[in-house]
Amino acid sequence: MAPPAQALDQLLARSALGDRRAFGELYQATAAKLFGVALRILRREDWAEEVLQECYVSVWRHAREYRAARAAPMTWMTSIVRNRCLDWLRRPNPEPLADEALEALESDAAGPLALLESGRDSAALARCLRGLEAKQRQAIALAFFDGLSHDELAQHLRQPLGTVKTWVRRGLARLRSCLETQ
Amino acid sequence: MRLNDELRDRLAAEYALGTLRGRARERLRRWLRDDAALARAVAAWEARLAPMADAVAPASPPAGMWRRIENRLEPAKKQSWWKVLGLVASGAAAALVAVALLLPLQRAGIPPSYVAVLSDPQTNQPVLIASAQRNAMVLHVDTLDPKIHVAGRSLELWALPSGAQPKSLGVLAGGRSELKLLAVADRSLGDVTRLAISLEPPGGSPTGQPTGPVLYTGPCVKYW
Repeated sequence: MAPPAQALDQLLARSALGDRRAFGELYQATAAKLFGVALRILRREDWAEEVLQECYVSVWRHAREYRAARAAPMTWMTSIVRNRCLDWLRRPNPEPLADEALEALESDAAGPLALLESGRDSAALARCLRGLEAKQRQAIALAFFDGLSHDELAQHLRQPLGTVKTWVRRGLARLRSCLETQ
Repeated sequence: MRLNDELRDRLAAEYALGTLRGRARERLRRWLRDDAALARAVAAWEARLAPMADAVAPASPPAGMWRRIENRLEPAKKQSWWKVLGLVASGAAAALVAVALLLPLQRAGIPPSYVAVLSDPQTNQPVLIASAQRNAMVLHVDTLDPKIHVAGRSLELWALPSGAQPKSLGVLAGGRSELKLLAVADRSLGDVTRLAISLEPPGGSPTGQPTGPVLYTGPCVKYW
């Protein structure tokens, strides 16, 4: 059960003032979800642990910069984690996503999307994602959930690079106009 | 570089989704520092896509993780929050701005005794000036940047006396307004070194202490 955004808001504000206990509560309330996100993208527990540690240290240091008016607390923290994961994947010493790992991805990445409908905020997004063409939806889901780049999408979906770029771009554009009418 | 709206939105979307990689990603991060519209577009896309993260199965991190994180946090300084705030804005710069702004503030020919200039720590731009005459029970507030007000939330102004808890000076109205002080300025502001603004629920903090993030802060200077 996700903690209410306002509670997280307050824990973040108290963390910004140097309150470690509040930061501990923030960790307890958010770690499992963020670890899940990192694990899904990185696919290795040791990497996900390393990245998650860095992210919490970063949240502690930058809590003062968090602006409730600009993002919900969970959105802010999730973005930090996803960005850090993507940075991790393109370190100079990459262990590139092996072919087998790519093959092992669900060929229809719509799996987690079914879960979306449970959340209230998520329902609109789920509806709009369902409204996309299957290939657009799949490309967007693989990019978001699994952190695939355009190149990796092309390889995984066995399509030319230009084609998957177009799917992603058009998919995002349709998603936006659909969400605006919700 | 100037981006048109369409390109800006497209780059923001690809950045939030994660498909923008390599040099393009680094470049966009640099632009984010100066291009407020781009930062807003990225935030909007992150918010649009955020519910997707709800669909990822949570996973319990190993038991020792919190301990390892805690060990990497800065050693617990005895952090009074006015000290935290002291790190935020450069006092000297803000005080200079205060002097530059004193002239237009002269009401009834007498310059104010107390002046505080609060600025945005991210841009260093002043957003609000508070001033008072030493024997008056009123604090004059001039909002320099009307965009600081947030729909559905209140901004609360706090006095930070050295060595004591923050004291509320009241909830800010927009534009130019006045807040009633509980005592003459010499008594209510005499030992106050900084003022700060926090984001609070409508009507102000329910606890008498700041509950939301501290958005703006600045030194409070006594001139005479």
